[in-house]
Amino acid sequence: MGRYVVRRLIQMVPVFVGATLLIFLMVNVMGDPVAGLCGERRCDPATAARLEQEFGLDEPVWRQYLTYMGNVFTGDFGTAFNGQEVTELMATAFPVTIRLTLIAILFEVVVGIALGVVTGLRRGRPVDTGVLLFTLVVVSVPTFVTGLLLQLLLGVEWGWIRPSVSSGAPFDELILPGLVLASVSLAYVTRLTRTSIAENRRSDYVRTAVAKGLPHRRVVVRHLLRNSLIPVVTFIGADIGFLMGGAIVTERIFNIHGVGYQLYQGILRQNTQTVVGFVTVLVLVFLVANLVVDLLYAVLDPRIRYA
Amino acid sequence: MPEQHYEPEPALAGAAAGGAVDLDVVEARTPERRPQGPDGSGPRGKPRSLWSDAWRDLRRNPVFLVSALVILFLVLISLWPSAITSGSPLTCDLSKAQEGSRAGHPFGFDGQGCDVYTRTVYGARTSVAVGVLATLGVAVLGSVLGALAGFLGGAWDSVLSRVTDVFFAIPVVLGGLVLLSVVTSDTVWPVIGFIVLLGWPQISRIARSAVITARQNDYVQAARALGASRSRLVLRHIAPNAVAPVIVVATIALGTYIALEATLSYLGVGLKPPSVSWGIDISAASPYIRNAPHALLWPSGALAVTVLAFIMLGDAVRDALDPKLR
Amino acid sequence: MLLEVRDLRVEFHTRDGVAKAVDGVSYGVDAGETLAVLGESGSGKSVTAQAVMGILDVPPGRITGGEVVFRGRDLLKLKEDERRKVRGAEMAMIFQDALSSLNPVLSVGDQLAEMFTVHRGMSRRDARARAVELMDRVRIPAARERAGQYPHQFSGGMRQRIMIAMALALEPALIIADEPTTALDVTVQAQVMELLAELRRELGMGLILITHDLGVVADVADRIAVMYAGRIVESAPVHDVYKAPAHPYTRGLLDSVPRLDLKGRELRAIKGLPPNLTRVPPGCAFHPRCPLARDVCRTDEPPLYEVSATRGSACHFWRECLDD
Repeated sequence: MGRYVVRRLIQMVPVFVGATLLIFLMVNVMGDPVAGLCGERRCDPATAARLEQEFGLDEPVWRQYLTYMGNVFTGDFGTAFNGQEVTELMATAFPVTIRLTLIAILFEVVVGIALGVVTGLRRGRPVDTGVLLFTLVVVSVPTFVTGLLLQLLLGVEWGWIRPSVSSGAPFDELILPGLVLASVSLAYVTRLTRTSIAENRRSDYVRTAVAKGLPHRRVVVRHLLRNSLIPVVTFIGADIGFLMGGAIVTERIFNIHGVGYQLYQGILRQNTQTVVGFVTVLVLVFLVANLVVDLLYAVLDPRIRYA
Repeated sequence: MPEQHYEPEPALAGAAAGGAVDLDVVEARTPERRPQGPDGSGPRGKPRSLWSDAWRDLRRNPVFLVSALVILFLVLISLWPSAITSGSPLTCDLSKAQEGSRAGHPFGFDGQGCDVYTRTVYGARTSVAVGVLATLGVAVLGSVLGALAGFLGGAWDSVLSRVTDVFFAIPVVLGGLVLLSVVTSDTVWPVIGFIVLLGWPQISRIARSAVITARQNDYVQAARALGASRSRLVLRHIAPNAVAPVIVVATIALGTYIALEATLSYLGVGLKPPSVSWGIDISAASPYIRNAPHALLWPSGALAVTVLAFIMLGDAVRDALDPKLR
Repeated sequence: MLLEVRDLRVEFHTRDGVAKAVDGVSYGVDAGETLAVLGESGSGKSVTAQAVMGILDVPPGRITGGEVVFRGRDLLKLKEDERRKVRGAEMAMIFQDALSSLNPVLSVGDQLAEMFTVHRGMSRRDARARAVELMDRVRIPAARERAGQYPHQFSGGMRQRIMIAMALALEPALIIADEPTTALDVTVQAQVMELLAELRRELGMGLILITHDLGVVADVADRIAVMYAGRIVESAPVHDVYKAPAHPYTRGLLDSVPRLDLKGRELRAIKGLPPNLTRVPPGCAFHPRCPLARDVCRTDEPPLYEVSATRGSACHFWRECLDD
């Protein structure tokens, strides 16, 4: 187990370097990194040249990348367009997005698995067909459309919630955005659970559990569910990274000042430091979440052994 | 004890080899699977291929028929939008802004006073073009790179797998924002290029594993042992096995690419006016959602139905092609 | 009689129509008796057993008639909750493939202990102790340590011993063993079968042994019921059958098995395949494959003729078959 973790950590290095380098190149090559530094107006050539030298922008890109990464590992993520430290932005943005992601995961776990179990056990019945069709629709409608429609209905028409989230982004105001963020994954979790339950329901060990004279409830919870949830848990684990990275759209619709908002601002203002900094953290979250999922797999399924 | 039997008895070979419960045998013994007359005589007709079997299943599947009809309709109106609308999506009259539906303008007008019906019809063209072209690009690039990794193995394979991991680690919408935010072109090509750039790893993974699985198949080994040439091996034996999973994933991906284009356009980095795109229209309509919800609802509906049609089509094709579910 | 199955009928609804998987089967087992049910796959022997246990998949399966009288009660008339209490406690089943029949993510100790906590309301601790005792009883070495292990960590023979331990846990009156040794290596088959026979004798249980292995049958069974296309074609004490079968299908089965006492004799296979159950041939279902078939076999379904007080054969020409 220990050796496996070490091997995986080593494997993560090239992926981490590749992903961050890719974003670094994209931002550098495609945009004008100095453009955002003079506020709203264009920099005059002299200032631009001075800034370029100051930030080391006249050096080759690979060296810039190394310098940047060196700084990152000492905790220096650079400065954002408004002169704030990027780490300060992160300190305000990440808690918000983490709250949002937590709510989304909660929806996936509670609603997704419940729907999946109900439909998996009643395959082919009206409930099943209805839920299945509904999940297809949810998967098909892009998140920004779902978000706008729910905002229109619940926020504007019926007035159940505040259409946009206040700056503190407390838990209760993030419930609807969390649902919107979760929606597509929620549908996947439902379908995955359903398939898994339906497949395992005909398995030999479930038949054995029935033949042992166990009550229906115990057969389902202890024998069927325990086995069927293994792929679902791994999906949800891997989803954490995607949710945090995909929160841009949701955060924009509900005006939430989280990671997605800061990234969006950083991109609009072509601020390399903000964008690369946030993406670096997101990629790390994604990689670590995937590692944790793989390790979790071994805990859930005793047949899996990592050498 | 008398001696144990080491071989399954001929008459009972089925029981020993299958080892299945009787229920499975009852279900398995349908004419398609084990063709035989009622008297247990030999097979009738020749065995069908995976493709003709799948096609037979699809023709009877209402989900497939409905989604295929929707897609056919979409393709037709993107080729000839003027067949069902006489207006131009760019002729707008500010004095009619946000007005509701009326004769000749069934969907009403948007914030710029453009006819929502005409814009929705023309929006299909963009979506279909982006979806089809991006999917083609992704499928070709992904298949070639994935198949190469599967064939060459070794260092090629590990490098490609790492590269794939890198692309998977970058959130798609984020990558789109970064890459496309500086593009000023108002054509569909940057968006398509971007989707191909970030989409190919998905297909390459599938193509790679399909090739590796196919290579290990006994009949491929046999063909190789019989001295079949490499190109013949690929074309006759390996490619047909890799094609089915790629087609299924590509069909579903087509739907998601359409959604992605709309999302990027909604965020302001995908297509830009004067391009006509459902994403642009939805984005433009969202500020006055309260006064003119129709300007938001029609393109949203069209987008949802389109994406849904492709995903359902992919689902149906997968069910038909997956022998495990038969 | 401990168990009496009377005129049991089970149908499956498939894409091609209704398959009569079990078509009027009757058999009985006394306490302490072993009944071997013989037949090819698809003959309905496992489906009958599943209907008796009450673990038939419904749908697609459906019990359309008959009675399953166990200790004086018709099980088919019991409510599901009462039926459940019979399962595992009064009658238990041993399945063919222990690897897939045991839950892969629960330790074998937990799976055994579950019998005691659920049916007997024991504490977890006591149940665990009983589980270890059971493992000892089926001669699994180092039972205490191995109780915490998972099914995949055991060998095939050991796993089947765990299945047997699970079935015997509550000392049921009847055990149904569905091809208990088919999935095992030949060298372990005999050990497992011997263990099962021994424990059955000790506890005085009735045993229904579903198998296609005639070698096993001769050794442990008291009676044989041969099934073909959902019906019983011959039912007799085991020695009578070995001496002279009263049905051409039984004869075919015996002829296709190598036997030490008939060295030098030619082995013969039964020609053809068993019928599709949605389209069973009219008359005697076996007639397309039968060497004795005549016109009457194509039109009249043979009843179970009484050959002797303890023996029946569903062949119009059972006399000829006996003399052959």
